[in-house]
Amino acid sequence: MTQPGRTPHHPRQKEPVNAMSEEPDPRAAAPGARTPDVRTAREWAGLCHSLTVRVPGPVDPGRLDRNLAAGARRRPALRPLRLWHTAVAAPSGTAAAERRARAEAARPVRPDMFPVRAVLVHCSDGAADLVLVAARISVPRPALDRLAALLLDGAADAWDDAPDIPACAPFPPAPEHDPVPWGLGLPGRAGTTGTVPLPLPERAGLDVRHLVGALALALARYAAGDEGADAGVTVGRVESAALRGYDDIRAYTVRTDDEPSTADFLAQFDTAPATAPRVPAAGLIVGTAQPGRSHRPCLAPVFPLTLHAERQADGTLRGTCWFDEGTVAPQLAERFCAHVAHLAAQLAESPGARPVSHLELLTAAEHGSVLRAGSSAPVRTSGGHLVGLFEERVRSGPDAPALGDGTTQLTYRQLDDAAEEVAAGLRAKGVAPGSRVGVCLERDAGLVVTLLGVLKSGCAYVPMDVHYPQERLRYITEQAQLPVVVASAGQFPALAGVAVVAPGELRELGAAADAPGEPPHLDPGQAAYVIYTSGSTGRPKGVVVPHANVVALVDATADDFGLGPHDTWTLFHSSAFDFSVWEIWGCLLSGGRLVVVPYWTTRDTEEFHELLADERVTVLSQTPSAFSQLIRADRESARDLALRLVVFGGEPLDVRMLAPWFARHSPADCRLVNMFGITETTVHTTAHTVTPEDVVAGSRSVGRALPGWSLSVRDRHGRVLPPGPVGEIYVGGAGVASHYLGQPDLTAERFRTDPVTGQRVYRSGDKGRLRPDGSLEHLGRLDSQVKIRGHRVELDEIRAVLLKHPRVSAVALAIRQETPGDPASSRLDAYAVGSGTAQEAAPMDAADVRDILAHARRFLPDYMVPATLTPVAALPLTVNGKLDPSRLPAPLPLTPRAPATVEPSGDLTDDIIRVWSRVLNTEVRLGDNFFELGGNSLLVVRLLAELRASGLPRVSSRQFYHHSTAGQFVQLLRTLIPA
Amino acid sequence: MRLSGKTAVITGAARGLGRACAVRFAAEGADLLLMDIAQDVAGVPYPLGSRGQLAHTAALCEKAGGAVVAKVADVRDAADCQGVIDAALDRFGAVDVLVNNAGIAAPSGKVTHDITAAEWALMLDTDLSGAWRMMKAAAPAMVGQRAGSVINVSSTAGLVGYRHFAGYVTAKHGLIGLTKAAALDYAPLGVRVNALCPGSVRDDPVVEGRMLSEIARSLDVPVEEHEEIFVRDQPTNDLIEPADIAAAALWLASDDSRRVTGSVLTVDGGFTAR
Repeated sequence: MTQPGRTPHHPRQKEPVNAMSEEPDPRAAAPGARTPDVRTAREWAGLCHSLTVRVPGPVDPGRLDRNLAAGARRRPALRPLRLWHTAVAAPSGTAAAERRARAEAARPVRPDMFPVRAVLVHCSDGAADLVLVAARISVPRPALDRLAALLLDGAADAWDDAPDIPACAPFPPAPEHDPVPWGLGLPGRAGTTGTVPLPLPERAGLDVRHLVGALALALARYAAGDEGADAGVTVGRVESAALRGYDDIRAYTVRTDDEPSTADFLAQFDTAPATAPRVPAAGLIVGTAQPGRSHRPCLAPVFPLTLHAERQADGTLRGTCWFDEGTVAPQLAERFCAHVAHLAAQLAESPGARPVSHLELLTAAEHGSVLRAGSSAPVRTSGGHLVGLFEERVRSGPDAPALGDGTTQLTYRQLDDAAEEVAAGLRAKGVAPGSRVGVCLERDAGLVVTLLGVLKSGCAYVPMDVHYPQERLRYITEQAQLPVVVASAGQFPALAGVAVVAPGELRELGAAADAPGEPPHLDPGQAAYVIYTSGSTGRPKGVVVPHANVVALVDATADDFGLGPHDTWTLFHSSAFDFSVWEIWGCLLSGGRLVVVPYWTTRDTEEFHELLADERVTVLSQTPSAFSQLIRADRESARDLALRLVVFGGEPLDVRMLAPWFARHSPADCRLVNMFGITETTVHTTAHTVTPEDVVAGSRSVGRALPGWSLSVRDRHGRVLPPGPVGEIYVGGAGVASHYLGQPDLTAERFRTDPVTGQRVYRSGDKGRLRPDGSLEHLGRLDSQVKIRGHRVELDEIRAVLLKHPRVSAVALAIRQETPGDPASSRLDAYAVGSGTAQEAAPMDAADVRDILAHARRFLPDYMVPATLTPVAALPLTVNGKLDPSRLPAPLPLTPRAPATVEPSGDLTDDIIRVWSRVLNTEVRLGDNFFELGGNSLLVVRLLAELRASGLPRVSSRQFYHHSTAGQFVQLLRTLIPA
Repeated sequence: MRLSGKTAVITGAARGLGRACAVRFAAEGADLLLMDIAQDVAGVPYPLGSRGQLAHTAALCEKAGGAVVAKVADVRDAADCQGVIDAALDRFGAVDVLVNNAGIAAPSGKVTHDITAAEWALMLDTDLSGAWRMMKAAAPAMVGQRAGSVINVSSTAGLVGYRHFAGYVTAKHGLIGLTKAAALDYAPLGVRVNALCPGSVRDDPVVEGRMLSEIARSLDVPVEEHEEIFVRDQPTNDLIEPADIAAAALWLASDDSRRVTGSVLTVDGGFTAR
C-alpha cells in the first residue's frame, strides 16, 4: 500500500483522501454521540459542591445500602444513585484517612452522569466518612443535607419527602472573571486548585463584613500602585446555601481612594450586594460550620481567589482560600490571605473614625522582610574616591595598558601623567576645586584623559555630546554655570563668561605650570559628574553623582563579574550617556584596558565587530538595540570574538532577541547580564544573568538589587507593596545621586527621605513588581518617558519644544515600531494642531511642517527629533478626555521635498531608490535626505547591509553620513563600483 | 506520584500483568476501575482469573492507597464494556488511562489449518476485538477531556511469528495495527494510544501469573522445565518480570510520555532484536 502522504517525494501533500476525511474536522465535533461538550474538569468542579459527614464506628455498611434500596423503591427517581464503598487502610482521623476523604470530596460529578455521588469511606477502625458530591444546580445545599440524613438514618417512609433530583442540566460555561494582574500564576498549572488557609484571628467580634471589607481593601491596596486603580474594586459575596450557578454571585463595588473612615467604609457592606457584571477577582462564600460535617461549597474556585469562611459555634470565623494555580502562585495566595486576615483584624479593632488609609496591609515583620528581600548587602567597600582608587591602580601596575583609541596607546602611568597635566592646566586657568567643568569632545583617548584630569583637579565633569544642537549646549553650560568648557577649537558655541579651551592647550598650560601644588582635597561625597537627562519640562535636568556612588558600583560588580587587569573594555557610548560612566570607571578601577570606539565605528556594526575581534575585547556594554545589530553582524562574520561578558543597559531588554546569539555562543563562554538602571541611581541598579531558559520563557526579570543597592515597589502613597502587585520602583542605597542641579523642587519631589526606612530613596517613575524571590520585573514607565534606541526621552520635553513654535497649538507623539519587537525600527511620529481657531487658522502646509521640524532640531538631539510631523485638525480623545493614540492617522510622509538634483539615470539609481524607499517606508526621490525622512543610525546599518547583500560595494557609515541624500549616495556608489 | 489524581481502567486485572499494573498504578496515586471476566470460558483450555483473585487485586490496590472499583465484565460484550466505563465515569468522574490487558493465550498449539472456526473467532474476539470495544466505550470521554492514554498490551507475538500460534499472533499483530490507526484518529484530540509488547514474562506467584506456562503447555513443553527453555532464547539470559511491564505501562500512562502516541514499546530482553 502506498500512502501518498508518507512518500518522501511529496512531503507537502496532505494526508490521503479516504472515506474518513469526509467527516468534519474532529476538533470541531468530536466523534461519539455521548461526548459531552469539551469542558475541563475544573469547570465542572466549579459547579459542584460536597458534604462530608463523619460517621462514628462501628459502621454497618449494609445499613446504608438498605436505606438507599428502600429509598429507591419509594422514589424511583433516585434509582440511579449508587452508594460506593471504599476502604482506606488507616484509622479515622489519621492523615491517610483524611486525605482520602478530602480526595473524594474534591472529585466532581459529570454533567452526563447522575448529579449526585455517594461514597462511604471505611476506615480501618470501623468509623467511616460519608461523602456526597453533587452538582449545585440540581442538588443545592439543603437537598444535600437531607440526602445525607436519609442515607444514614432513613427508614423507608422517611424517603417520601426526599428531595427531587432533576437530571444534570448542561453545565453553563464559566463566565469571564476580572483579571488578577498580580497573581504570577503559571499557565501550565491552570486547572490545578491550590488551597491555603485564611489565618483569621479567633476573636468573637470579627464578623463577615469585616472580612468582606478586608478583602476589598486588600484588592484595592494591591491595585494602588498601578494605573486604573481609581475605578474602585469589586469583591464577591455569596451565602454558601444560596450559591447554585454563577448567576447567584453578588458583589460590592467600593472605592477607597477618597479615604473613608472605617465606619463609613464598613457601612457599605450592610446593604445587600448587587448582581455582578463579571465574576470579581476575589470573593467570599460564607457558610455556617456544623459539628461532624464539612461542606465544600465549590470543588474548584468560583472566583480566581475564592475565600470560604464558616461561622463557628463560638462566634468566630474560620476560613480557607481556593485559587487556580494558573492564575495565582501559591506563595502569593498565601500572602494575600495573610493580608486579608491582618486587615480584617484591624477593621474589627479600629475605632470608627479612623480612616481606612491608616490600616496596614503588611504586618511590621512582613514589612521588614519585604524590604530585606529587595536589598542586597554590599560585598565589599573600598571607600575613597575615583582619583585615589585610580592612582592605586597606577601604583600596582604602572606599565599595564590603560587606554587606546587606534592611534594613541597609554599605560596607566602615561594616562595618569597626562591627566595630571590637564588638572594642572585647569588650575592654571583659575578653575577652583569643587567647580564644574564642561567637557564636549569627540570620542578618543583625549576625552578619557580630560575626564580624569577634571576629577584630579577636584572638579566635577559635565559631559556634553559634540552632536548636541547649539541651543542645548548653551542651556547646559548656563544651567550648570560652567566657567570652563573643554572642547576642540570651533566645536563649541561662544558664550559670554565661558572659557572654551582645547585639551591640547590645557595640557600645554599644565606642563608649563610650576611644580604642582598640593593635590586638592577630594571627598568621596563630592560630585564626580553631572549628566543631563531628558526633562519633562522641556529642558534637560542635571543629575549630580558623587564619587562614592561610582566606587560602590564597581565594588558591587567587580567580584561577581570577575573584573580585572585581564579584561579589555570598550568605551562605546557618548560620555553624555551614563552608560559611559560604567565603561570608563568599571574598566580603569579594575585595572583593565579601555578601547575607545571612534564615533564612526559605533555607527558601523561590521566595523565595530572587526574592532571587537582585533582588540580581543572581553567586556562589552551595549543597549539591546545596538546588540541586536551586532548579533546580525556576528552571524555574517567569520571572526572569533573574545567576549566573556556582555552588559545590557539603557533600555528594556526583550530577551527573545537573544535566541540567535545563544545559538552561536555558549553562556559558559560569554555571560550576558541584563542590568536595569537609572542615571539618578548611578547607571545600574539590578543585575540578572540571562540564560537560554529565560529566552525560551520570555522572562522580564531584571534580577535582584546590586550589593549595596535596595529596591522596593510602592503604591501611589509610598506604601510598601508585597511581591506580586505592580507599583513604582523606589531605589535606595549606595547609588542614589545627590540631587538635580539647581532644581530644589524637582529634587525634593524625586529624592526623598523614606518615612518607612529613614533612608534616602529615589522615586524612579518606573513601573515594576517584586517577585517572591526578591528579583524585580521592570514593566515600563508610569509617565511619558520612553526609550528610543537606548536614549532616555521625555515625550513632554519634545512636546514642550514643539509647542514653542508659533504655528503649533497642540501636539501628540507616538512611538511606533515598524517591525514589532525590533527596537531598531522604533520611530517617533509627531502630530500637531495648528494655532488659531479651527475656522480661522490657515491649514498647516508643508513649509510649516519643515519649519517646525527645523525648530525642533535647534533644541533637541537627533534621536529626539520626530521622524514625521502630521498636521491634524484636532487630537483624537477618549471619552475620558485622554489622547486616544489608536485614532491617530497614519503619519504623512514628508512632502514635497527638495527637487531632484540628479535625474534618474539607469538601473543602479532605481535599485537604490527602491531600497531606500523600503527601509524608510516612504517614497524617496533623489534630492531627499535620509535623515530628514525619518532615517536613523540603526536604519543606516540596515540599509547598508541590504545594499551590500545585493552585491554592491561596501559603504562605511562614515561615508554614508557624508553622502546622505539619495543623489549623493548614488554618486558615491558610482565612484566605488569598479569600471 | 506520577498518576496522582488520574483514573485508570485495567482489563484482565484479576491476576498476572493486570494485577502488576494495577498495584503499581495505585502506588503512584491512581484510582482504579479493575475489570475481569472472573470466570472460565468455554473453549479456553485453562482456568481464567477468579472473583477471589479480582478481589485480592482490589485489596492490594486499596492497601497501596488507591480508591478501587472492581467489576466483573467480559470484553467480548459491548454492553459490559460500556457499563464498566460508565461506572468509572460515575464513580471517579473521568477515565484518564485505559489498559487493554485482558487476553487469552489459548486455544493455541495447532498448525494454522487445524484451527477451528470457533477457536479462531474466540481468539480474535477476545484479544483483538475486546480492546476495540473498550476503546469504543472509553474514547468519547477521553476526547471530551482532550486527554487520555490507552495502552494496548500486545506481545512479541505482535511483532514476529510463532509456530502453532496463528490465532494469537494474528490478534496481537492486529492490536498493533489498531493502536497505530487509533493513534492517528485521536492525535489531534489529546488522546494517546500506544502498544506494549511484553516478551517472555515469568509467571510470578505474587501476581498469580500463568500465561507463560499456558504457552508452554500449548507447545508441549514440559511445564516444570519451561522457564529454563524460554530463558535459552533470551539474549539477556533471564525472563521479563511483571514489574518490568508495569513500569513500562506506568510510563505510557503518565504525562512523562505525553508526546508518545502510535508507538510500540517492546519489553522483551532483546528477543525480537535478533
